[in-house]
Amino acid sequence: MLIEKILNHISNWGKVWFGLIFLGSIFNATFEKISLLSDMPYISVFAFGSGALIGFLAKMRGAWL
Amino acid sequence: MTNISEISSEFSFEKEKAIARTFSKRFQWEMILMGLGQATIWLSLWPLVLNGFLNLWVGFLIASLCACFAYLPSHEAQHGNYSRGNSKLRWLDGLVGHITLITLKFPYHMLRITHMKHHAYTNNPEKDPDYLNAHTNSLLGVIKNVLDGTTLQFEKYLDVFKDDKAFINSFHRAIPLALFYKLAPLVLVVIFPLETLLLWWLPAKLGSVYTTVFFSYYPHLGTSTGRYKDTRFWSHWMPRYLNHSMQLHFIHHLHPSIGHYDEPRAIEALKPFLQARGVPGADEIPDRVSYNPLIKI
Repeated sequence: MLIEKILNHISNWGKVWFGLIFLGSIFNATFEKISLLSDMPYISVFAFGSGALIGFLAKMRGAWL
Repeated sequence: MTNISEISSEFSFEKEKAIARTFSKRFQWEMILMGLGQATIWLSLWPLVLNGFLNLWVGFLIASLCACFAYLPSHEAQHGNYSRGNSKLRWLDGLVGHITLITLKFPYHMLRITHMKHHAYTNNPEKDPDYLNAHTNSLLGVIKNVLDGTTLQFEKYLDVFKDDKAFINSFHRAIPLALFYKLAPLVLVVIFPLETLLLWWLPAKLGSVYTTVFFSYYPHLGTSTGRYKDTRFWSHWMPRYLNHSMQLHFIHHLHPSIGHYDEPRAIEALKPFLQARGVPGADEIPDRVSYNPLIKI
């Protein structure tokens, strides 16, 4: 069943997706507002990469905090 | 410790129930206003902030306040306290219950069924979905658990109550909305990153912490199991008007149909019964609760 598959996926990988998309977007928007960082090349890659990394660490730990 | 067999007929359950029933009839318009009102204010923050009419940080403060007001109207709906047994008004329970919880990003049906189990099995380590909230070592521990989602053990209770068809059906009914609340912020954040963080995600977290601390942690802290033992009367430095009068939450556990704003008068009327039954903290209940902020420093 599709919903069951989605729920399983969220249960297993939800933290990584949340890190990549949610935290990544927040970091990216914040970096853009900081003039010192906004001109740096690949800043978006760094922002979304950091988000994904935090999400991945949370998945490994089984908890965010 | 008061033994039930020692309770005089003067304080019988039947008499207690009869008194409680007199406070369980009023139509709770204030709660409906609070639920629908905070959701309307919260929704209006989005166009106001996105169009530059309101500063994002001011929006964040207002959204956080809305989130703190979001749960209680849904809680009354969970107990059917708007319809009060009138099947023609049941839609009102669902309407207020669903709408007010948008701010907190929680599906109404999921909270309703787990809350009913909380009432049925208060302080039971295996069956009370709120057990972890009241039995964590410190306030900081509770806050941490809420922030990282540890307290939401929906999968555990799905297994614990797997033979309860009503529970399972309601749970499954809530799944599409639960998915929506998971996915909607992920879509919104791509388009409006800081607005999604400060108008929805963070206020919902703060509202959840506020709700858990004052609705679950303090009222059940240090209590045991049993009708008159699982919730307590308590007081602390915060005036009761700032924490939804949760010092009086014990009366809700005894008589869930009493309207929230009628609880002070109900407690005044039932005080001798509560003392006779040995409700934790009952000896400290003031004679007049109505205008007493119940502060203790």
